[in-house]
Amino acid sequence: MAPPKDTMFRSADMSLTQLYIANEIGREVVSALGELGVMDFRDLNSETTAFQRTFTQEIRRLDNVERQLRYFRSQMEKADIPMRSIYDFNNPFTSPSASEIDRVADDSQDLENKISSLNESYETLKKREVELTEWRWVLREAGGFFDRARGQTEEIRQSVDDDDAPLLQDVEQHGQGEADRSLSVMNIGFVAGVIPRERIAAFERILWRTLRGNLYMNQSEIPEPIINPVDNEEVNKNVFIIFAHGKEIIAKIRKISESLGADLYSVDENSELRRDQIREVNTRLNDLSSVLGNTKRALDAELTVIGRNLAAWMVLVKKEKATYQTLNKFSYDHQRKTLIAEAWAPTNSLGLIKSTLRDVNDRAGLSVPTIVNQIKTTKTPPTYFKTNRFTLAFQTIVDAYGTIKYREINPALPAIVTFPFLFAVMFGDFGHGVILLLAALAMIYYEKKLQRSKLDELFSMIFYGRYIVFMMGIFSMYTGLLYCDVFSKEIPLFKSMWVWDDGKEPGSGPGPTSHRVEGYTYPFGLDWRWHDTENDLLFSNSYKMKLSILLGWCHMTFSLMWSLVNALYFKTPVDIWGNFVPGMIFFQSIFGYLSFTIVYKWCIDWAARGQNPPSLLNMLIYMFLQPGTLENPDEPLYKGQAAVQVILLLMALVCVPVLLFLKPFYLRYEHNKARALGYRGIGETQRVSALDDDDDEGRTLNGNGARESFGDDEDGVAMITEDIGHGEEHEEFEFSEIMIHQVIHTIEFCLNCVSHTASYLRLWALSLAHQRLSIVLWEMTMVNAFGQTGIKGAIIMVVVFYGWFMMTVAVLCVMEGTSAMLHSLRLHWVEAMSKHFMGDGVNFEPFSFKSLLEEEPVE
Amino acid sequence: MANGWAPFIGLIVLAVFCAVVWFAAPKGENQTVWRSTLVLSAVAMYIMWAITLLAQLHPLISPIRAHLRPEHETPR
Repeated sequence: MAPPKDTMFRSADMSLTQLYIANEIGREVVSALGELGVMDFRDLNSETTAFQRTFTQEIRRLDNVERQLRYFRSQMEKADIPMRSIYDFNNPFTSPSASEIDRVADDSQDLENKISSLNESYETLKKREVELTEWRWVLREAGGFFDRARGQTEEIRQSVDDDDAPLLQDVEQHGQGEADRSLSVMNIGFVAGVIPRERIAAFERILWRTLRGNLYMNQSEIPEPIINPVDNEEVNKNVFIIFAHGKEIIAKIRKISESLGADLYSVDENSELRRDQIREVNTRLNDLSSVLGNTKRALDAELTVIGRNLAAWMVLVKKEKATYQTLNKFSYDHQRKTLIAEAWAPTNSLGLIKSTLRDVNDRAGLSVPTIVNQIKTTKTPPTYFKTNRFTLAFQTIVDAYGTIKYREINPALPAIVTFPFLFAVMFGDFGHGVILLLAALAMIYYEKKLQRSKLDELFSMIFYGRYIVFMMGIFSMYTGLLYCDVFSKEIPLFKSMWVWDDGKEPGSGPGPTSHRVEGYTYPFGLDWRWHDTENDLLFSNSYKMKLSILLGWCHMTFSLMWSLVNALYFKTPVDIWGNFVPGMIFFQSIFGYLSFTIVYKWCIDWAARGQNPPSLLNMLIYMFLQPGTLENPDEPLYKGQAAVQVILLLMALVCVPVLLFLKPFYLRYEHNKARALGYRGIGETQRVSALDDDDDEGRTLNGNGARESFGDDEDGVAMITEDIGHGEEHEEFEFSEIMIHQVIHTIEFCLNCVSHTASYLRLWALSLAHQRLSIVLWEMTMVNAFGQTGIKGAIIMVVVFYGWFMMTVAVLCVMEGTSAMLHSLRLHWVEAMSKHFMGDGVNFEPFSFKSLLEEEPVE
Repeated sequence: MANGWAPFIGLIVLAVFCAVVWFAAPKGENQTVWRSTLVLSAVAMYIMWAITLLAQLHPLISPIRAHLRPEHETPR
């Protein structure tokens, strides 16, 4: 017997299945099930830590491979090598085989070694290159220093020799200076090197203080920045050369400069030798750059080869890791060498699961079949709805409010229509609806492309709800037609029911007033003649207010009906008689009556009766404050109005105690009857027996996790019957708790009937605001532009039109649309779902490679 | 024109449409979605149309022209 088809109306029928898998093919089976993505595996080893589990080794190994792949990725990013996109592979979702994984693991190990050694040598070479460049700069700059320094040797020497030499002496001696006197003869040493430019000031200060000014320092800036090979940062550096007297001082200078991060280079003071040095440095630099180029090319080639397969490998490893993580949830039967798994799966998919398992078995050539058992359980099955592109966003709206109870009515199904429709009531404008629809159609048309590209947060949200926008657009166009608004202008579809008075008809003077075409009503929507009249607000106000009350009444009655359907499905008649019926009577006798009077008042030709129509608002107030009397006893809405209202009020009042007491007392009666017959809750009996046993034992039995120690259970036979004794469904019967719950429910329901009806008035407020805003926008921009003529007028027209259009899209469509959407969301979450939604379900989270890759996409 | 009957005529059209949708909805796993969406849309649209029509069946006020040129303005 096939179970009924799964639809969106109720969550899918689930069954708890037990799998007995031969140890050898455990990995293959799980990976095949991961491709199917319909099983939600339960963790059978929840008391063991992650390190104690069976397949921790494998997961560690895969973690390592994953790290290597990430390393490749970062290297590729550093070298600007593109990775082949995951979408370019023919079928990136094939199930990996064990040998494939091993090969990938080995390959990535080899490649990692290769790439890291290449990288290392590249970095060393680069470092060498930097050193040589710096040295070359030092040599080049030092030449200039030496020339300048030589000219001053005399001064230096004199200042060193005798401190009391007259200041003018050097002028006299100038001519006879030995130009070629070398510095070493004078026992003057020097230190040359390179230092980062920002440290130069500190460097000078420290040197000056420690050497008390006994030095001669020269420096110059290197015009081009030096690139640090480690972190690829550019650093501006200075070349310096310091002359000083005495070995100790020179050593001190060396120490200071090294501690400040300067690099020292040897420079010969002889200009000949210096020239040789420069030449040598240049040749070495040339050699180095060619080697560097080769290394870089080799590295790039290697990375390009990796980049061709990297995405596929990443997917492969991710899948494999997830497979082992799932395998860790299984318990292992040592005696039979089988893995035992428990999983929730949709009953309808069991056939598919079985055939998949058979396939895996056949492929492995194993004689022991994989056994699939269905277990009966009292646990709540998870809630699962199969969604498609269209329904997904609507389901998400409902799920955001709460997880639907297993097999409960799914509010997302009616929300497909009611959500965009209530939006459209607030957003009614044909033109704006067209813009929404076009935007949605564009998003749907370029769906594939947009799905693959990275979108920013706001746009991705709109894109996610593209089908909602699509429905919103359609309904907004419809309500726009009904409101007779297109960009705030009228749509004269049919002949108007109003004719302006021009004084020619008998009985009416010329003037701004109008009269009705006899016996004719505008057939579709609001009459367009109301546009641009003095009293259009007066009319549309009353119309839209009543419209929103009526729509709210329809929506709430509709939602309340679902609670009846739920109660019938779950076979809880007490919910029908104790909640639904009194609630419905209460609601209808007040607000159903109000809705009726609204329609009734519309249907009566009050002018023909020669009567003033009574005010409905006052009628409702009088109905409560002075039951039995009318505001205007001479002019009732209909005959016997007062009596009907008293009866309705009494009906509503009678419903309150029924709502309050019926359900709790019925439940108590049921409970007492069951106890009188000798039935007791499982939890109760065990509490009694726990008095005899020791405390520890009693607690384990009593708690909800009686099933916890499953994994340790050595006896395989006991596992089949494990599911008895799961106490979580057996709640203690506590009358006071149920009573309090029901009191809260009653108060809430009665008050909510009032407040929720009032809440639907937001439909009126927002639709009026939307219409007014678009009129104001039109009048402030386009109307002014129409006033201009000639070339100037044409130019102004174009500019103003663009401004108007931008404002329409930004303010009226995006901003107003968002606000209307949020209000519609609230109407569904609060006003509608509170009438029937039970919630407290558990989400179905199947083990699925597809959703895994969607959550953590491989870029 | 039997205007008062228009909502009832609309109701018949609606019922016919719903019946057609119920049987013509594409078979398969999305049949429920097709049916519910189309039927509910039709009902919602009908309700709003009917309300709008009823509101204008016996209007209590008639439009008064705005933005008349001063020479046509008559004292009221």
